[in-house]
Amino acid sequence: MKTSRQYPHYFFLLLFVFYFSLPVAAASENLKSGQGWMEFGESYWPEKPVKGGTIQTAAPLYIGLFNPNHFPVMDWASMGFFYDKLILHDGSYKPTIPWLAESWQYLDKVTIVMKLRQGVKFQDGSDFTAMTLKYQMEWILDKKNGAWSRPWLEPLQSVEVVDPFTLKFHLKRPWGAFAGTMASVPGMVISEKALQMDAAIAEKKDIIRMIGSVRRTAEKAETRAESGDASELEKAEAVQARMKFSSLESRMKELETLTQEGKSVDSMPAGTGPYLLSKASPGNYIELKRNPEWWFGKYAGMPDMPYYENVKVSVIPDPSVSLASLKAGKVDYTLLNPFQYPIVKNDPRFRVGISPLNWLVWLMLNQAEGPCKDILVRKAISHAIDRKALVMGTQAGMGRLASCIFPDNHWTHNPDLEPVKFDPELSRKLLAQAGYKNGLTIKGFTLNTPVSQAFTKAVMAMLENVGIKWEVDFLGIAGMVEPFMKRKYDMSGGLYQWIFEPDLIATALYMPDGMLNYGRNKNEKAIQLIVQGREETDDAKRVKIYQQLEAILYENYEDVWLWYPMMVAASSKRIQGFNVEMLKQHGEGYIRSHPTWFKDGGRQD
Amino acid sequence: MKSFIINRIAYALLILFFVTILVFSLARLLPGDPIQAAAMFNADLSNQEIVSELRARYGLDKPIYIQYVIWLKDFIQGDWGTSLGSGEDVLEMFFRRLPITLELFAGSVFWSLIIGLPLGVISAVKRNSWLDAILTTTSIFGVSIPVFWEGIILIYLFAVIFPILPPSGYVPFAESPIDNILSVILPTFVMGTHGAGLFARYVRSSLLEVLGQDYIRTARAKGLREKSILLVHAAKPAMIPVVTIIGLAWGYVVSGSFLVEYMFAIPGLGRMGVDAVFARDFPVIQATLVMVTVNILLVNLAVDLLYGYLDPRVRVRGNLGQ
Repeated sequence: MKTSRQYPHYFFLLLFVFYFSLPVAAASENLKSGQGWMEFGESYWPEKPVKGGTIQTAAPLYIGLFNPNHFPVMDWASMGFFYDKLILHDGSYKPTIPWLAESWQYLDKVTIVMKLRQGVKFQDGSDFTAMTLKYQMEWILDKKNGAWSRPWLEPLQSVEVVDPFTLKFHLKRPWGAFAGTMASVPGMVISEKALQMDAAIAEKKDIIRMIGSVRRTAEKAETRAESGDASELEKAEAVQARMKFSSLESRMKELETLTQEGKSVDSMPAGTGPYLLSKASPGNYIELKRNPEWWFGKYAGMPDMPYYENVKVSVIPDPSVSLASLKAGKVDYTLLNPFQYPIVKNDPRFRVGISPLNWLVWLMLNQAEGPCKDILVRKAISHAIDRKALVMGTQAGMGRLASCIFPDNHWTHNPDLEPVKFDPELSRKLLAQAGYKNGLTIKGFTLNTPVSQAFTKAVMAMLENVGIKWEVDFLGIAGMVEPFMKRKYDMSGGLYQWIFEPDLIATALYMPDGMLNYGRNKNEKAIQLIVQGREETDDAKRVKIYQQLEAILYENYEDVWLWYPMMVAASSKRIQGFNVEMLKQHGEGYIRSHPTWFKDGGRQD
Repeated sequence: MKSFIINRIAYALLILFFVTILVFSLARLLPGDPIQAAAMFNADLSNQEIVSELRARYGLDKPIYIQYVIWLKDFIQGDWGTSLGSGEDVLEMFFRRLPITLELFAGSVFWSLIIGLPLGVISAVKRNSWLDAILTTTSIFGVSIPVFWEGIILIYLFAVIFPILPPSGYVPFAESPIDNILSVILPTFVMGTHGAGLFARYVRSSLLEVLGQDYIRTARAKGLREKSILLVHAAKPAMIPVVTIIGLAWGYVVSGSFLVEYMFAIPGLGRMGVDAVFARDFPVIQATLVMVTVNILLVNLAVDLLYGYLDPRVRVRGNLGQ
């Protein structure tokens, strides 16, 4: 079962785009001191940045809607061009770096005060203030706006404006994931003006849909009322129906005036980010132009940021064609699948970078019914798999062996846990103990992409070696829904992408109502810890809770965790300013604050 | 002829009606709810409440027959719904992509004709010679060569090694006519080589059949030159299978262009339709299949009429039938 996004290699590509072309984020205090991730000196890059040029990138999917809160968004990387977040993640994926939020602090368990950065303008010219952020939070929480990020803000009771740049968040209960949430979709800041336009356009569409039937109802009621034998009630109903129609009609006129010039956020993004949408050719490409008003460049004293004048993101679904486009000089960088690495690693025209990803490749076990209820079977499966061989054979070695759910560079990773040892002899013994001396057949499904099929077949062979026959159906994404929801499997393959806030993956996988659980397991100790972690606001205590959670999951062989993937990317050597070591150390904070540039100022095509 | 056309249109409408029912039901018979799938694969962002809301927004919470009635009514009125995959208006999406696929089709037919026709004619004229054997092998190679292999080889050849063409992407004609032509050369050639192989085979056998007819013998007996016999008397009736293939190819243009559109990153109908099937994007699947059916019905009608033009015997039989 794959989570988060639909196509694994697509998101390698998207992340690449994100890393190489998006400037963003920096904490004011760090900026002033010039320390750590905010380093702009020679240790970061020996040459001075040059403004200019058009950088061309490839994305495997078209972006979809431009409002990150609306379904569907397909290309999260491109969203970063338009929107800044309140808080950013550091190199351990912890939301510690202030960006549009200068600071946030718990006044008590259920009140948080947040100070916002001043002098920031949205791409539509309006100002970013406490009022606009309060509006955004309320817009997300309002059901009629259809924000699919709404559940994230469930613990939020209300937002109070203290002064133009200070807010108080009043919570229903202690909320440990507050910073993590503000570093995610709800924290992508959108213009109030644009959201109001969005709401107006949605309301207009609703009125258009219903006005015809309201008019017909009013006309019928009036005809009835005008007949000789109409009762007083019918006459009153006719008046009421006519009033309803008139009020809709007048609202429609208001909305028409209001929305005459405007566009919905879905088609015209309006954040505070470094690039503005210039042209969109759906399914083909998007063109962006530099946002000269981008606050960070000015704030950091480097007004030329972002350095590229224009960005063109072309949709190229096939990874081989992406690589060919890079070689032909038609795109300036691309993500690679691990097996493309040898093709470019010695090419003098390109710079190739390998960095860790916060993803998890795993096998999901159904403990609600079938043989995987038995811990001996789960142990036997886990010890039968040679994780190192899998990574070497199916990922060209580009992966780190997984011990549990949080990647080895994640802030809540438990360093005391080792990846489960490959021990086929032990597996056979465990199977015999579980009563499957003559072998065991388990069923499952996995995604039908070539990458997924390759690793699944390798696992099948490893299991066969100890006497476990894994019968697998290779399915498309939508085809996996029914067997998953009806738990028609013993074990199935999965990929979880973008592990930032620990509560999200823990809930999705190990809470009985989690989106990747559906009653497949119910570990009471784990559930207790997840609830505890959700409500704990002290980060040090949260780390202990999640490390304990990992230990409990590990001891119970809850699932089979295989590896944490790596990102492999190649770029033209003309691109300057990308420091992989700083990326590893400082994560998103580095990426957003250190835009890249062309050595020669770039071609102007 | 008039009543023939009216009858055909009436049949076509009836078929279309049943196709809408079939398409609608089949799309829903595919296992997997699209919203549930999307939500499940975006576990960070979803919960059951949101899934229910989204299902309601797209009308997926209603009984299937009500969904069908609403969809059909809206479809006829020009409201084709919103794509579950991209959030775009399906009508706009379809008509924005249609000209692209039409251009690909026209380009591929162009390549097929300029390669396939001469090959077929030469093969027929020089039948059973070494040249015929070489050309027949070439035709079979053209038919059987995998699109992916041919595509990537051509991309590396003409975009990387000899960089004269773009490796992928599509530039609309209105934006830049020259770039537009350059951007479709490789994809249309790849599509066209497959058709060229077929054309060559069909033209060869059709021409051989025609050249064996009595009236051709008569023409020869009258002392007409071979070139004149071939071009004036044999070529027109031999074109009937070519028209059939073009008609058939047009019928399959959406599904047939998928691989080429995917590989060359062309935002056409093929990629849209196949992606929609994988994502269970019902509004797009339904619109695409209905329009493909309309297309096939229209093409069949056009081909029947063209037969009449190309072969007077068809007209005569048609009139006798009436």
